[in-house]
Amino acid sequence: MSNTRIQTVIVDDEALARGVLHEFLAAHVDVEIVAECGNGFEAVKVVTEMRPDLLLLDIQMPKLDGFEVLELIGGDVTVIFVTAYDQYAIRAFEVHAVDYLLKPFSAERLAEALDRARARIAAKEKVPEGLVSAGRARHTPLERILIRDRADVHVIPVDKIDYLESQDDYVSVKTAGKTFLKEQTLAELEMLLDKDVFVRIHRRYILNIARLSKIELAVKDNRIAILADGTKLPISRSGYARLKELLK
Amino acid sequence: MHPILSDRRRLGLYLLGWLPIGLLLTAGLSERTSWPAAAAVFLPLSIVFAFISLNAGYLCRVFPIDARAGILRTAFVHVVAAAMASAIWIGIGQAWAGALDLLAPGLQAGAAFAERRLLIFVVGALLFWLASILHYLLIAFEASQQAERRAIELSLLTRDAELKALRAQIDPHFLFNSLHSISALTTVDPAAARRMCLLLAEFLRETLRLGANNRISLADEFALADRFLEIERVRLGSRLQVTRETDPQATACLVPPLLIQPLVENAVVHGVSQLVEGGTIRIAASRGGPTLTIKVENPCDPDRPRRQRAGLGLDLLKKRVVTQFGAEGTVLIEEDAGRFCVEVRIPAEVAA
Repeated sequence: MSNTRIQTVIVDDEALARGVLHEFLAAHVDVEIVAECGNGFEAVKVVTEMRPDLLLLDIQMPKLDGFEVLELIGGDVTVIFVTAYDQYAIRAFEVHAVDYLLKPFSAERLAEALDRARARIAAKEKVPEGLVSAGRARHTPLERILIRDRADVHVIPVDKIDYLESQDDYVSVKTAGKTFLKEQTLAELEMLLDKDVFVRIHRRYILNIARLSKIELAVKDNRIAILADGTKLPISRSGYARLKELLK
Repeated sequence: MHPILSDRRRLGLYLLGWLPIGLLLTAGLSERTSWPAAAAVFLPLSIVFAFISLNAGYLCRVFPIDARAGILRTAFVHVVAAAMASAIWIGIGQAWAGALDLLAPGLQAGAAFAERRLLIFVVGALLFWLASILHYLLIAFEASQQAERRAIELSLLTRDAELKALRAQIDPHFLFNSLHSISALTTVDPAAARRMCLLLAEFLRETLRLGANNRISLADEFALADRFLEIERVRLGSRLQVTRETDPQATACLVPPLLIQPLVENAVVHGVSQLVEGGTIRIAASRGGPTLTIKVENPCDPDRPRRQRAGLGLDLLKKRVVTQFGAEGTVLIEEDAGRFCVEVRIPAEVAA
């Protein structure tokens, strides 16, 4: 029996707003609320562990907004956004939300949204891989990098990044002596970062230009970037050209 | 370019103004010689002098009459300039009269001109001074017009900033969220729902009422902020805490309406509500001699995205303080390690 019910998670930082959903959802016997979360971090943790079918997701929340939660949990959950802000509607459909409820909403409006969600879940429609991050990519340049470490989430504002290093399908993000691994290629990240701040100095490295202390000539044409904290990074010939262009 | 030369209509009027002067000169000289001779000499000459006199305009701009310039020096410059202008005029007149003698010897223009040279020189100098005076008047008129226009522009700007501030005052999302809270409370706690309705109505009414005033007491402004905070506390629960340190001398001061309320709103919307565990907003007001200092401090998430930072409201606040108090008003914004602080200093005014 419980297998056929729609496993639902409510994410909203306001207790009263969660209460309304609770109350309205009680009328839908096929919907089972398996968890309620008060912030984005919790939501990422819970969704990762419980793999629910449906997410009722607020947008403006502490730490992580609704879109960031979605980016971190990937595309295999059906999402209904619930918010007081109408300006995110287009972005919401870009990330394939089934509906977008504006607070305050009626029980009927929620029922409508649930009908759409049921249809999508029944069809076992999966959001194609990459579409979530594609929707995200429209809002460049990136302001912070989100990293999921199993159920934990790290938020790194881009201005705190020293440099990025490619590790096959991962990127290691270096910030203040710490290293975080993000599942993304260096080329993808390069596209999302502010071109006036981050420069690809080498096939394997992207440097935050604010961290550059000096450039040294090693052997022949090879140059080395020396960072403010003393870290040395190789600069390729084309990387040097890009660096010169940026420093002009 | 000279303002009279640059406009054909103005130039026409100006030259027309010189016609009576030419006629007067003609009449003055025609006693001794014939009418046609006098007219042939002086009508063209007065047109020539009309153009020479335009130079007085440049002189007036280079030597403006104001507190800094020495009157003696300016007067000396004008005496010399008038003498030179008149001398040039006499020279041209002499040449013109000579030419007339060759063209129409019967008129005897040269003789008539030579006889009255000194008188004409004096008249020329006086006319040049007259032109200078007229130019000074013109400059003063233009300056006063410009000052008036600037004053109107400034008052429009002030008005505009005020209106924008008032319109931005009631954030629609605040209303939608509050209505959603009421919707939630209606079934679980009808009494609380009603209380929230009343709070919201009071807040809206007070915002409109206070916004219509030029100055309100800081105590009134704080009372409005209190209502706002009470509504937000329904939504945010224990995440929102507030402390306040004010002295009665400060709360009695007059402030522009809705100056501080947006700061409190920012502290909630961009500060406390963005923190999982919430935090305490600290509001302080004090009066030190002629200055009223109001401070709103709140915890914030240092890693929050830049677009969420309170920019617009604070820009508006700065603009309002500058337009209302000029250099006497300051807005200081500080952010350090998860604490956000805005300090507003304005002249302390009290009700008469």
